[in-house]
Amino acid sequence: MRWILFIGALIGSSICSREKFFGDQVFRINVRNGDEISKLSQLVNSNNLKLNVWKSPSTFNRPVDVLVPSVSLQPVKSFLTSQGLEYEVTIEDLQTLLDNEDEEMRQNEGQERSSNNFNYGAYHSLEAIYHEMDNIASDFPDLASRVKIGHSFENRPMYVLKFSTEEGVPRPAIWLNAGIHSREWISQATAIWTARKIASDYQRDPAITSILEKMDIFLLPVANPDGYVYTQTQNRLWRKTRSLNPGSPCFGADPNRNWNASFAGKGASDDPCSEVYHGPHANSEVEVKSVVDFIQKHGNFKCFIDLHSYSQLMMYPYGYTAKKAPDAEELDKLARRAAKALASVSGTEYQVGPTCTTVYPASGSSIDWAYDNGIKFAFTLELRDTGTYGFLLPANQIIPTAEETWLGLKTIMEHVRDNLY
Amino acid sequence: MQPRRPPPPAPGSGPWGPRPAAPLIALLLLLVPVVAAAESESAEDRGQPQDAGLQRRLLQQAARAALHFFNFRAGSPSALRVLAQVQKGRAWINPKEGCKVDVVFSTERYNLESLLQEGEGHLGKCSARVLFKNQKPRPAVNVTCTRLIEKKKRQQEDYLLYKQMKQLKNPLEIVSIPDNHGHIDPSLRPIWDLAFLGSSYVMWEMTTQFSRYYLAQLTSVRQWKTNDDTIDFDYTVLLHELSTQEIIPCRIHLVWYPGKPLKVKYHCQELQTPEEASGTEEGSAVAPTELSNF
Repeated sequence: MRWILFIGALIGSSICSREKFFGDQVFRINVRNGDEISKLSQLVNSNNLKLNVWKSPSTFNRPVDVLVPSVSLQPVKSFLTSQGLEYEVTIEDLQTLLDNEDEEMRQNEGQERSSNNFNYGAYHSLEAIYHEMDNIASDFPDLASRVKIGHSFENRPMYVLKFSTEEGVPRPAIWLNAGIHSREWISQATAIWTARKIASDYQRDPAITSILEKMDIFLLPVANPDGYVYTQTQNRLWRKTRSLNPGSPCFGADPNRNWNASFAGKGASDDPCSEVYHGPHANSEVEVKSVVDFIQKHGNFKCFIDLHSYSQLMMYPYGYTAKKAPDAEELDKLARRAAKALASVSGTEYQVGPTCTTVYPASGSSIDWAYDNGIKFAFTLELRDTGTYGFLLPANQIIPTAEETWLGLKTIMEHVRDNLY
Repeated sequence: MQPRRPPPPAPGSGPWGPRPAAPLIALLLLLVPVVAAAESESAEDRGQPQDAGLQRRLLQQAARAALHFFNFRAGSPSALRVLAQVQKGRAWINPKEGCKVDVVFSTERYNLESLLQEGEGHLGKCSARVLFKNQKPRPAVNVTCTRLIEKKKRQQEDYLLYKQMKQLKNPLEIVSIPDNHGHIDPSLRPIWDLAFLGSSYVMWEMTTQFSRYYLAQLTSVRQWKTNDDTIDFDYTVLLHELSTQEIIPCRIHLVWYPGKPLKVKYHCQELQTPEEASGTEEGSAVAPTELSNF
């Protein structure tokens, strides 16, 4: 049964242009040497056959799975036979298989699927994300609640999901920040997936269960709601907030240069038209101030993780100086372990290091503020990819990204749990 | 989407390349290997992680510049390469002149539909010497790469792409590629590849030791008819510069025929003078740039 779902997942990720697969078959072809691989490449790369490779070989003597459309069955069979390539037909009619699978999935509606079918493998509007946060809170009332921590410049609510197994006491807590730069859509998408994951895995996965038994988790999926709406309606590549800059035709400040950590230092600009404009003063952006006020009032945060894209980096303080942070060694070791855990899922490689020398000097950043305010475990993650799609990461990479990132996040959270101070 | 890569070898120690001829030694001695960053503070700030970080950044910067240049020179939209792994290299910084980098790196095909990516045969290898003149663009690049795709196959794919472009209706009603959700319709892929090829020229010219460019999106496309058989392609791209985070619109005009050198004219709108790099110029080549002088 799981095999069927696996195939279904492959289909979802690899086939883009056609929708129905009546009569299409999957061939499992045995390639024994380099010569056979090149013959197969020849076949596969010929455009008019429209073949689709599902599983390519990593070494010889491993089979290749190829989806062959019904119109190409004859020519492919002839080719394989004439070239002496061994094959078997593993799926005789893909459409039948898919229809059966659809039926099964509908019947197996588990807790992972929300009742209004929020598709975690797609990008969503702000309203949809907020609605899903509300759903998660209703689906898991003893664990999750949606909390309003403030509002944006254009008066949109700022919602966090609070995950807590014990009310009343402000336990040591973890802050997961996402979407502070609105164009980095994979950040918000990963965050909402992570929200559902935390809720679903509590009392199923020992790691997250033990974390939640000791600590609270606060998750802010859209730290810059105005910017996010702007990327959906006006300019996909908008980064900053949408605050007004008096006397300037340009809007917004870079919310990740607006924190009170060497504010207006290196790597930020005093020009309102710049993408890294720090704003008129620290915490001038209400979106930033809301988070700062909440965290300070709570007083017991131990970990702050900020999700961004792109570049595949895992970084720790400082950004505002090249000086080593006092805990740099511990943070470096932890980040390396987290990056390794992340890579174990799909081989995605992250580079690790302090912000200033790993990417560039940047003052007024969230994690520098957090660190200088007693939150030792402060990390910035730059998610996929490394520039091929950049900000415009295809939706079919959302779930793979979220899944691998989750392992990295868990590694960090487990360490925090075991090293509370 | 991310192909598996073997774990990176340890960062290269020692200079790469053959021993320089005697007359060059004097020249090389002028370029002192420096380990501290240009922007660092006191001696106590220099430590291992910072040196490694700076070296790594410069090597990556050089590899990218070299690859943009290589892609442009190869002039083949179906044989575009992207950086896979920096393998080894060395950077020399001379505060007055600039930065010289020798780097060896692996590449993979940009064409994301490229199948059977695993295995040694599908990772190309390049070695390059890149000279960044102090914050001035247009780094001098000398790059050699192993062949990634068989020449005949490349020619075939280029010609196929050429035919697909020729068959497109004119004027094209394209809004953006990729769309806002990162999707590129397969029928529009040839346009994207050709746009990337032309953008490689622009990105090479604009790259300095500090600024790094990526192609974010293609926002408008026009294909002009020509009397001869060339593809005459006029389009606008949005480039993303990483250190300033700026989005730079560039109007690019290219003329291409499979197998012939690429001709590119462009004009980029620099909306904002970056704080770090002073003297950033608007990249604007007035006359078509021929390949004859390369």
